[in-house]
Amino acid sequence: MTDIATTQPVPSTERSAFLRASYWLLRHPPVFTLILIVLVCLVVGSINPDFWQVSNLFDILRASVVRGLFALGVLVVLASGGLDVSFTAIAALVMYSVTMLATNWMPGMPIAVILALATFGGAALGAMNGILVDRLRAPSLIVTIGTQYVIRGFLLTFVGTALFMNIPGSMEAFGKLALIRYVEPNGAISTLPAFVLVLAVAAAVTWWMLERTLIGRAIYAVGGSPSVAERLGFSLRTVHVFVFAYAGLLAGIAGIMHVASNRLANPFDLAGTELDVIAAVILGGARITGGSGSVGGTLLGVVLITLVNNVLILVGIPTTLQLAIIGGFIVLAGAAFSIRRRP
Amino acid sequence: MQHDTVAATPARGDAIPAAAVPFIEIRDVHKSFGGVRALKGVSFAIEPGQIYHLMGENGCGKSTLIKILSGAQPADSGDILVNGRPSNGFSPVEALAAGIETVYQDLSLLPNLTVAENIGLTQQLVASSGHLFRRLDRSRMRGTAEAALATVGLPTTSGFLATRIDELPIASRQLVAIARAIASDARLVIMDEPTTALTKREVDNLIAVVNRLRAGGVAVLFVTHKLDECKSIGGRAVIMRDGQKVAEVDVADHSKAELGFWMTGKMLDEARYRQAPKTGDTLIAVEKLGRRAAFSDVSFSVRKGEIVGITGLLDSGRNELALALAGVRPADAGTIQLDGAAVTLKDPGDAIAAGIGYVPEDRLSEGLFLEKSIEDNVVMAVLDRLRGALGLVSARRSRALAEATIADLQVATPDVTRPVQSLSGGNQQRVLIGRWLTIHPKLLILHGPTVGVDVGSKDTIFRIIQRLADEGMGVVIISDDLPELLQNCDRILVMRKGRLAESFEAEGLAEETLYGALVDEARAGAAR
Repeated sequence: MTDIATTQPVPSTERSAFLRASYWLLRHPPVFTLILIVLVCLVVGSINPDFWQVSNLFDILRASVVRGLFALGVLVVLASGGLDVSFTAIAALVMYSVTMLATNWMPGMPIAVILALATFGGAALGAMNGILVDRLRAPSLIVTIGTQYVIRGFLLTFVGTALFMNIPGSMEAFGKLALIRYVEPNGAISTLPAFVLVLAVAAAVTWWMLERTLIGRAIYAVGGSPSVAERLGFSLRTVHVFVFAYAGLLAGIAGIMHVASNRLANPFDLAGTELDVIAAVILGGARITGGSGSVGGTLLGVVLITLVNNVLILVGIPTTLQLAIIGGFIVLAGAAFSIRRRP
Repeated sequence: MQHDTVAATPARGDAIPAAAVPFIEIRDVHKSFGGVRALKGVSFAIEPGQIYHLMGENGCGKSTLIKILSGAQPADSGDILVNGRPSNGFSPVEALAAGIETVYQDLSLLPNLTVAENIGLTQQLVASSGHLFRRLDRSRMRGTAEAALATVGLPTTSGFLATRIDELPIASRQLVAIARAIASDARLVIMDEPTTALTKREVDNLIAVVNRLRAGGVAVLFVTHKLDECKSIGGRAVIMRDGQKVAEVDVADHSKAELGFWMTGKMLDEARYRQAPKTGDTLIAVEKLGRRAAFSDVSFSVRKGEIVGITGLLDSGRNELALALAGVRPADAGTIQLDGAAVTLKDPGDAIAAGIGYVPEDRLSEGLFLEKSIEDNVVMAVLDRLRGALGLVSARRSRALAEATIADLQVATPDVTRPVQSLSGGNQQRVLIGRWLTIHPKLLILHGPTVGVDVGSKDTIFRIIQRLADEGMGVVIISDDLPELLQNCDRILVMRKGRLAESFEAEGLAEETLYGALVDEARAGAAR
């Protein structure tokens, strides 16, 4: 009876070890990203030994925080089969409004309250995306392009356009708080800011949510096939509203991290970085069509993009050319990941 | 129709012991969609441990009935009793909680999740009443999956549990879907046309699983229009026509012709369609054709006006051979001569140019543009022939061609501008055949021509095939539906393990002999 189960497609007979290895690789896309990261490190490090400095590692981690928080949100939306491009607008509105609120009315507002406000505001704006996507049954890319413009327009028209150079004390202190201080052999001091822990916690929570809760499986189920998931009793509305609210929540926190690390709240910031973030998630192995992707892969994708953005300058590659290199990686990854789908 | 016309249900009252109460009973259920009355007062009962076949042609209301039973849609009026207690319609989650599981035709598996998740998630969803903000109990999920997989005869290794559904062959997916259905104390498993994509051997395995379920007191309701399987499985047949139950009988007491009559309202011809073949010269000669890792050393020829059947198990290479002849996945060895001239088929365009029409197996994903009109679908392959002034496609000629083709193939539609998806399976298939007839092929390859097609439409399609052969076209039917091949072909070729193993004259051939050749002689010999 069990011979039915083992009826596999006719196996290709002699497959070389190299082919086997590449097939395995294609089924584990984050490994591909990891290899790219190692390659970039080796190449840059061999050309410019300055690369192998603790300060450099700290810089990359610090620069990964905002992009990483955004990317986790994009991952969750992408896994459910949607696409969100409004998260930078949400982050900008939240960071600017909260900074303004604290500066003008309550300069001593503690960081916990600031984070709570940002979390709540971001989640509410995200939930609005989710409700629109669910009610209109419209492609989420279109809906969030719309809400991105609406939110940004609202921010610049009704909230303000002036920079906040003096951010509230608690935010400034939070941005300066050091997790590790390292004294280089040459006496220079480099610090790893404590707010990288926010990304670590967000990643752990997102992983737990996706892998260890029913809503996590429901997100992948809806991303795999919305009609089947609905027939099995998964509520599409719950999933839609949740994923966008979750992405908004992370965007709100990311906004505060952005202000704290730059010690500046600029309402024009963050706009235009959406594709950068989506690229990181795709490089991490998530399919643009939904139903896949992992937290580990996403973090690797973020590190790869940050690495390329930050270190190519060390080997004399101008920032303008970095764009082309990132683009090349994306095309390469896209091609590699699509091969595994072909028979 | 009144509920007391249900023949199988005993009279009900306080004196009846609990065991006599049917698991599910529906009484006088009505359902309309807009102005269309899909169910006009249907009543029947389902007893534990019994097998039922809900039969009828497309559009008879059986799908609607299934949706009501599984909670996907509410009934407009009528009663549904679960264990003798009225329950006025339910949500999917409540139907699941009552023990009603449905294996849909599309299997409703989540392609990107693992075997264990597909089987075990539903149970936890039911346990949480549909609330999603709950912890996922992975070890319980694994345990549930292991037990259910063992029941349906699938492996329970951790490797198999962690396999994604889209990496499994279709027969295993079918069993996974059944495993999910029985994972959480199912009392009734509804299977919506479960055997459409399976070969006969896989169907036998499915029947064994069904008998195991039955022994455990689970009722099974097949939704089907395959009379052969209904006869070989046995049980009770509930036959629907035009929104009403027209009969409820023991399958064993009635012939296929009788059951077919109730379904269609007309007497169906079970005899061979193939009569007095008028075959001519050799049309196509295939010499040592092969494709790496699929099939090899395949040689055969088809004469003008001849109908040749090719069959084999799912892994025999029959599908790959069909795709090679259509130029979809080209052969990499051997030669093909068509009308005496060598042809190379590197892509579907080559095949069309050579005069080979290919009607694919999966008409939904490979053949038809479901949202496009019937006309667009029919004229698709001959757009350049319809060019009028300025090189634009002439709307008049396109419409004329589509209407002629539709009339020729008796497609039931008032209007060729309707989308193809508005047609029944049998009519969709005729549109697809019609498209290939517009190129006037010398050779027509039909891959599973009546998959998912109801009995009445089957009859029409068979008659069309016969007429085409009579007109001198060569026809190759690639199928695992053995009666279909026996009824229609002159010769039947059997493939095993990528090679042409045997060839039979179809006239007077017994289905058992053909089936024996299909699974391979040694096993067939031992079985007898």
